[in-house]
Amino acid sequence: MNQVFDLVMLALLIAMALAVARSKDLVAAAMIFSGYGLVMCLLWQHRGAPDVAMTEAAIGAGVTTILVLLAIGRTCRREK
Amino acid sequence: MRKSLVAITIAAAAVPMLIGVAGLPRPGDPSAAVHTHVAARYIAEGAHETGADNLVTGVLLNYRGFDTFGEVMIIFAALAAVMAVLPRGATGLPGAGAASGIPISPIVAFIIRLTAPFIAAFGAFVIFKGHVSPGGGFQGGVILGALLMMLSLVLGRGVDRPLIPARSARWLQAAAPLAFFAVGVLGLGLTGAVLGYPAEPGRELLRELMMIFLEIGIGVGGGAIILGLFLETRGE
Repeated sequence: MNQVFDLVMLALLIAMALAVARSKDLVAAAMIFSGYGLVMCLLWQHRGAPDVAMTEAAIGAGVTTILVLLAIGRTCRREK
Repeated sequence: MRKSLVAITIAAAAVPMLIGVAGLPRPGDPSAAVHTHVAARYIAEGAHETGADNLVTGVLLNYRGFDTFGEVMIIFAALAAVMAVLPRGATGLPGAGAASGIPISPIVAFIIRLTAPFIAAFGAFVIFKGHVSPGGGFQGGVILGALLMMLSLVLGRGVDRPLIPARSARWLQAAAPLAFFAVGVLGLGLTGAVLGYPAEPGRELLRELMMIFLEIGIGVGGGAIILGLFLETRGE
């Protein structure tokens, strides 16, 4: 059961990472990356690292997304 | 000329690092120090030696306090780099306008005002409870920073009325390195080692206070730096 959860989460992570890399819409990529942070947070928690999970939830899924969105706001939304 | 200077600087930084990495034990090597006695020592003696009920905090602030000092310096350097790279008072490219004068929705503003005190209390809880439970300065600081980011959307209005005045903001952003410096020097005076903690019986309270001071410094500094990154990126 433990293994199944990890494998599903890891598969999700790989799919999301590919989606971020392939997306031409940078705002969509930023949102998917936020979801990546959230899944990573669940994985940390499940692996028994609540400290890292909290950091990942706050920074990976939260603050980083906002900073990336702000950076996109100062440049251009679509990748050329 | 300039390019060769950059190349030389990068090489001067990279070569010692690569030599250091090459000297590390192979991942999973059973004879590596961490598998033979270091981890076992932390688990067996950590609670007694560090006085921290949470082993992660014990490692972070006591055994590897110097590493954590480096970490807060990296976060501080990140803000300094952003401030150096981004022009001051710039509002971004024409037509981009993430922050340029779009009024915030009253629903969002109300929710931010409603949740702010709870988020602040939770952030402080995570900082102070870092001793005994998962959490600590870094996590609580990010929660406080996210709160300040949200509040600056509602309350702060540009350069004229910032949420935190620029002068105090500079000091707050340096809070984590300053706290480490203060505790490091205090430890030097008390024990003869930088970031040393008094371990003899009867000094537990002092040790506890030093660690809580560090946690608060990391939390306040982290929060202020995240707010600074947000404001700088937004162009204020």
